[in-house]
Amino acid sequence: MKKAILYINQFFGQIGGEEKADFPPEIREGLVGPAMELQKQLGDDIKVTHTIICGDNFMGSNTEEAVERILGFLEDKEFDIFFAGPAFRAGRYGSACGHIGKAVKEKFNVPVITSMNEENPGVEMFREHIYIFKGGASAAAMRKDIKKMADFGRRLLNGAELLSADEEGYFGRGIRRQVWLKEPVTAADRVIDMLLKKIHGEPFQTELPIPELDKVPIAEPIKDLSKAKIAMVTSGGIVPVDNPDRIQSASATRWGKYDVSNLERLEAGVFKTIHAGFDPAAANDDPNVIVPLDVMRAFEKEGKIGKVHDYFYSTVGTGTTQGEAARMGKEIVEDLKAAGVDGVILTST
Amino acid sequence: MKLELGNFYVKDIVFGDKISYSNGILTINKEEALSVVREDEHITEADLYIVKPGDKVRLVPVKEAIEPRVRVDGGPVFPGVTGELMQAGNGRTLALKDCSVLVVGKHWGGFQDGLIDMSGEGAKYTYFSQLKNIVLVADTDEEFEKREQQKKNRALRWAGMRLAEYIGSCVKDLEPEEVESFELEPITKRTAKINDLPSVVLVLQPQSQMEELGYNDLIYGWDANRMLPTFMHPNEILDGAVISGSFMPCSSKWSTYDFQNFPMIRRLYEEHGKTLNFLGIIMSNLNVALDQKERAALFVAQMAKSLGADSAIVAEEGYGNPDADFIACIVALEDAGIKTVGLTNECTGRDGKSQPLVTLDPKADAIVSCGDVSQLIELPPMETVLGELESLARDGLAGGWAGDEILGPSVREDGSIIMENNSMFCGDQVVGWSTKTVKEF
Repeated sequence: MKKAILYINQFFGQIGGEEKADFPPEIREGLVGPAMELQKQLGDDIKVTHTIICGDNFMGSNTEEAVERILGFLEDKEFDIFFAGPAFRAGRYGSACGHIGKAVKEKFNVPVITSMNEENPGVEMFREHIYIFKGGASAAAMRKDIKKMADFGRRLLNGAELLSADEEGYFGRGIRRQVWLKEPVTAADRVIDMLLKKIHGEPFQTELPIPELDKVPIAEPIKDLSKAKIAMVTSGGIVPVDNPDRIQSASATRWGKYDVSNLERLEAGVFKTIHAGFDPAAANDDPNVIVPLDVMRAFEKEGKIGKVHDYFYSTVGTGTTQGEAARMGKEIVEDLKAAGVDGVILTST
Repeated sequence: MKLELGNFYVKDIVFGDKISYSNGILTINKEEALSVVREDEHITEADLYIVKPGDKVRLVPVKEAIEPRVRVDGGPVFPGVTGELMQAGNGRTLALKDCSVLVVGKHWGGFQDGLIDMSGEGAKYTYFSQLKNIVLVADTDEEFEKREQQKKNRALRWAGMRLAEYIGSCVKDLEPEEVESFELEPITKRTAKINDLPSVVLVLQPQSQMEELGYNDLIYGWDANRMLPTFMHPNEILDGAVISGSFMPCSSKWSTYDFQNFPMIRRLYEEHGKTLNFLGIIMSNLNVALDQKERAALFVAQMAKSLGADSAIVAEEGYGNPDADFIACIVALEDAGIKTVGLTNECTGRDGKSQPLVTLDPKADAIVSCGDVSQLIELPPMETVLGELESLARDGLAGGWAGDEILGPSVREDGSIIMENNSMFCGDQVVGWSTKTVKEF
């Protein structure tokens, strides 16, 4: 017998509406609200043992606390799969299902399945992390949405062959894998088919969709460099030798900032690189080849630039996802802005 | 230009006293064949095997595949490579179908070499698992590259070509079982009916990224690194004008057999005069420096435009850095108003989440994807290994590794293996055979 647990909000948990949205997380044995339909659809081989209820506002404003409490509830529970929602088009509910789903997946490494409408902002926030099925706009779609979640969950637990996101009906998680076409059509045939459609202006489907480009416009030039405060930011992994922020050597999710206000240059043995994507010998011999503090100090003395910012910022670029890189970038920018930095020299490896 | 390919369908291959072909049976005198291999004194050890679909045989490190052929009117099967230069693509060439000569290193492999399983789960990954193969397993005295990850494999590849010519010669005086005819009228001399059809060029980007000579694909014996895009007749490619190199991670590679049989070219011939007006091939290449990539794209787009191409197909032999050439070429063609479809494979990483090509552009809106080089493949032990299994782990094959903190070594003690698709021999079949695609999960 496999076991499942469902997360729902205060409304579907029958606590109340908007006035109860601050309801703190609670776990109940057995089935509450949509859990009954979920149990029905899952059949006899999978038992929904508990229902977790949390107010949308509680999750929204105290995310960390809510997640921590719920993970605490789950610590002594046995479960093979975790469901959340369906959240339809409700934004806060979708985001709540995503937050808790992602946390459960990371901590317990069980499959997490939810459902949202395509307009729910939770889709873009969490589609990479959990299975989000394409759901209806309102609770009228409850049965249909739960059926999709349950069918997939059952097949997943039974080790059935899983098809692509489009075929299964969930939002793609950004994972691309090779498959053999069920009806074998050679690449040469597919090229001719696509080409003829493209030539004749008929709709066609590329096999490699190009993601929307997230192009950052180039900044305006700094008007007077001699008065500007310049900071150095690197993805080259230069850190104090004890790597105090425990920045990962690959697929980094952490960054650090290090005080250089009293330094003329970065000394070998004091700083090093923890980047696993290149031969570190040269950088460890002279960390200034990645973070050029020595040259920046010279420019400062010459009056070419106003001032070198007191800190440099560092993370590791290799294997780091674009999403994590963007998040860290935004966090670093806030710090730079608060310090009145006018310009940044961004170095890689 | 008219090429006739006279085909003999090989049903079985056996060793015997005298090389011959009769009623579908190809008989090979092993010693005589090996003496052809040993004409090059750099070959130090050599043996021949026959492997067929269903055999419990694993081949690694596989370096090359060649279709045995002979020219009826004489001349080398690979002009400028195995003999004097001559025009390829004209006249009659005879081919032994459903079989290939495979060249396998007796010990040493490299980045560009691959693996073939003749049966079991692994057999679905390579085209050559479904062919009857004459397998040359040999070693050489090329000490300078024995321990190098990149190998030219010169002696072995040339031995394979000599062997394919020698075997092909046994049908020289026989009447083929089937004759396929490939003929394109000169572009300015086509009928109004054909001229009214949308015209198409096939742009090929064979592997040419090594600055040092000896690793790249050769065109009439000329290193593709040292050329600018040029216009070719499709028959030339089908008739031995291009041979495979020894550089690209193997699943992305186009073997010489692939060039000789190029399914995308054959498919365009089928459409010619029906739905399309097939103008010919723009033979481009793949480069390292950005200005080289841009220059090649510029030449391709200009040539396509001057030829009056309404549409184009671009195929790249490689992934990673060559994606930049591939996308640049598509963008240049689209900018010239030429409707373009790309043909390639992808590298999405172990977790499948990496950007599939290193460069992307919204103008590349029509791509056929033939596979993912980074897919992990786990296969059970195989009864017989021809070559040396350890090469997959030891010698830097693109899809193998000596150790991995999570996955362990590629080659396990019991003979089972774990590898990336990267090292499946010409596995992604970007030349057009692939029935794989890549989907989002």
